[in-house]
Amino acid sequence: MAFAPAIRSLGRAGLFTLSVLRSSRPTKDFFAELVREIYKIGGRSLPIVAAGGAFVGLSVTLLGYRALETYGATSQVSALLGLGLYRELGPVLTALLFVGRAGSSIAAELGLMRATDQIKALELMAIDPIAKAVAPRFWAAVISVPLLTGFFCSLAITAGYLEAVHVIGVDSGTFWQTLKDSVDFADDFCVAFIKAAIFGGTSALVAAYVGFHAEPTIEGTSVATTRAVVNASLLVLMFNFVLSALLFRS
Amino acid sequence: MVLAQNKTRQCNIVQLPTLILHGRLEFDSPMPSPDSPAVRLSSTRLDRGGRTILRDIDLSVPRGSITAVLGPSGSGKSTLLAALTGELPPAAGTVEVFDRPVPLGTRHLLEMRKSIGVLLQGNGLLTDLTVAENVALPLRTHTKLPALLVERIVDFKLNAVGLLAARDAYPRELSGGMARRVALARALALDPPLMIYDEPLTGLDPIASGVIMSLIQRLNDTLGLTSIIVTHHVHETLPIADQAVVIANGGIVFSGTPAELENSADPLVRQFLRGEPDGPIAFDATPRTEAA
Amino acid sequence: MAVRGPRLEFAVGAFLLLALASLLVLAIASTNQKFGFGGSSYELTARFSNLGQLRPQAPVKIGGVVIGKVSKIVLDPVKFDSVVTLDINNEYKELPADTSAGIFTSGLLGENYIGLSPGGDPEVLKPGEEIAFTQPAVDLLQLVGKYMFSGGGKPAEGADAGADASTPPAAPPSSEEPAK
Repeated sequence: MAFAPAIRSLGRAGLFTLSVLRSSRPTKDFFAELVREIYKIGGRSLPIVAAGGAFVGLSVTLLGYRALETYGATSQVSALLGLGLYRELGPVLTALLFVGRAGSSIAAELGLMRATDQIKALELMAIDPIAKAVAPRFWAAVISVPLLTGFFCSLAITAGYLEAVHVIGVDSGTFWQTLKDSVDFADDFCVAFIKAAIFGGTSALVAAYVGFHAEPTIEGTSVATTRAVVNASLLVLMFNFVLSALLFRS
Repeated sequence: MVLAQNKTRQCNIVQLPTLILHGRLEFDSPMPSPDSPAVRLSSTRLDRGGRTILRDIDLSVPRGSITAVLGPSGSGKSTLLAALTGELPPAAGTVEVFDRPVPLGTRHLLEMRKSIGVLLQGNGLLTDLTVAENVALPLRTHTKLPALLVERIVDFKLNAVGLLAARDAYPRELSGGMARRVALARALALDPPLMIYDEPLTGLDPIASGVIMSLIQRLNDTLGLTSIIVTHHVHETLPIADQAVVIANGGIVFSGTPAELENSADPLVRQFLRGEPDGPIAFDATPRTEAA
Repeated sequence: MAVRGPRLEFAVGAFLLLALASLLVLAIASTNQKFGFGGSSYELTARFSNLGQLRPQAPVKIGGVVIGKVSKIVLDPVKFDSVVTLDINNEYKELPADTSAGIFTSGLLGENYIGLSPGGDPEVLKPGEEIAFTQPAVDLLQLVGKYMFSGGGKPAEGADAGADASTPPAAPPSSEEPAK
C-alpha cells in the first residue's frame, strides 16, 4: 500500500514520456526550436565537458601508469585509458556534467515558464506546451550528449597522450597501437555513444518532468531544479549499470 | 493612435484572420444567433480539490459588453474564469459560451479556446521569442496564412496597442506595462469574439493602468468584442464596465450596472467599495473550513 | 543570453560539425576499426585439450596478423575436450586443409590468442569444417615448476606435461592429463 504513490508517480512519468514522444512533430517551427535548444544545452555545456575531459584524461593516465608499473605493464596505459573512457567514464561523466549544467537549466526554465504563466498561456491558446517547450529540449539532449561525449573522449585521450608520451615517456607508437588494439569499434566505441544518447534522453525527461510539474512559485522552481539534478544523476548511474550488464558481452 | 475607426461590427482589415477562421467554422456548426448572451452560467457549482468554491452561480454576459467581476482575494474569481476556459468542468449546472456548453473533449475544447482570448496575470510571454514572434505564435500555429501576411497582421495588432516600435525586443527588455500590452496584442491575434482579462492591472503604475483600461474599452467597441474583466481594482474598472458582478462568500452577492453598485446598501458591497478593513468580511482571520 | 537567428544557426552548425569530426577522428585513431558488423566472416572449429587463458573475442592470427576471432567455446561432454569456434574474416577463405592451430600467449603476461600455421595442402578448409591439427596451451607455471623440481631427471613425470608442449600435433583428441 505504501508503494501506491510511488507507483502512481512512476506511471505519471511514463505517461509524460509518451506524450513527449507523441508530440514530436517535424515542423519548421520545431526545427527552429531544436536548433536553439541544441545551442543552449549542448553548445553551452561544451566548456565544462571539454575541461572535464582533459582533466580526467590526465588523471587516469597518471594514476594508471602508477598502477601498471607494479606489473611492468606500463605499455598498456593507453588501453586502460581507452577502455575506461569508452566503457564507463566517457558516457557517465559526460552525462553527469550535462545533468548539472543543462539538466538544471531545463528544470529551471520549465519551472519558470510554469511560474510566469507561459505554460498556461500556451494551453489557453490551444498550443500544446509539451510539443512547444519539452519535445525540442528532449531531442536536443538526445543529439547533444553523444556529441559531448565525443568531445570528452577526444580531449581525454589527447590529454592522456600528452601526459603519457611527453611527460612520462611512454613510446608514442606503443601508445596509439595499444589503444587501437584494445578498443573494439562495436563493443566499446558504439556502445559508449548509444549509452550517451540514452543518458541524454533520460536526463532531459527527468529535468523536464520535474520542471513542468513544479509549483508555480519561485520556491517551486528552485525545488524543481534541485530535484531534477538529484533524480537525473541517480537514474544515469542506475541505467549505466543496467546497460553495461546488457550490452557488455565478454 | 491608428485604429480602424469603423464603429459597426462589420469586418475591418484587422479582423482578416477571423474571417478565414470563421469561414471554416461555418462548416462545423451553425453561427450563434446575435442576440443570445456570449456567456451564460446557470445554477453552476464549481468545486476544486473537493471543496465547493462557488455555488448557485447565475450569470449572463451580453454580447459586446464589458463585464467586471469583482470581489475580495480568494473569493473564487479565478475559479470562475477556469470554468469559462474549460480548465474546470462544472460540478453542477451548465456553463455556455456562445450558446454551446464548454466542451470537455480535447479536440473540441481546443477549437473553443481559439475563440477566447485570455490575458493572464503573469503575461505568459515566451522568453525566447521576440515581441513580434510572440504575437505571431497563434497565427502561425492555427492558420495557414503566408508569412508576409502574418507579419502585417502582427504589425496591426502591435500598432493597436501602441507598441509597433518594440516588435524586435525580447520580453525581458520591456517594462511591466509594455509586456502586458504585448500579451494583449497576442490575445487578440486571432480576433476572438470573447476576451477574458485576469487581473490586468496588477503591478502597473497609474498611467499604465489608464492605458490598459482605455485599450480594453476601445478594442471592445471597435472590434465588437465581449470582454470579461476579473479584477479588484474597482475604481479603474467601473467607469468602462457595462455590468458589474461581485463575488464573495462562495456566490454572487451583487449583479447589475456600476451605478447600482455604487448605490448598493449591502454592507459587504459597501465594505468592498470603500476598502474598509472591518465589516462583513472580518479583520481577524478565522480558521477556514470552507471557501470564503 | 539570446543569440539571434543567423549567428545561432552558425554556432550550432559549427558545434555539430566539430563534434562529428571529433567522433570520426576518435573512431579512426583509437579503435580497432572493425567496422564490419558481422556477416563478413565464416566459421571453423578446432578442438583443444587445454585452453589455458583463451577467452571468447580472443584474436586469431596467422604470423601475427589478425584474421578473425574466437566466437564460442564449449566443452564436449563426451570426449571432454573443448570445441572452439573461430570466426575467420571472409578475405581469408583459402586456408589449406592441413592448417594447424595452437594457443599462444602474446608477450610474457599477455592474453592468449590462436595462431594458425598454414600447411601446403591444395585443398582448402570449407566453412564449418574442423581444423585437424591442434596444439593445446602451454601452462608456463607448471613447466617452470616441473623443471625446477625435477632437475631434468624424472622423465616419467616429465613425459606427460612435456609431451603436451613439444610433440607435434597428432590425433585430435589428446586426452592425456589435462594440465588444469
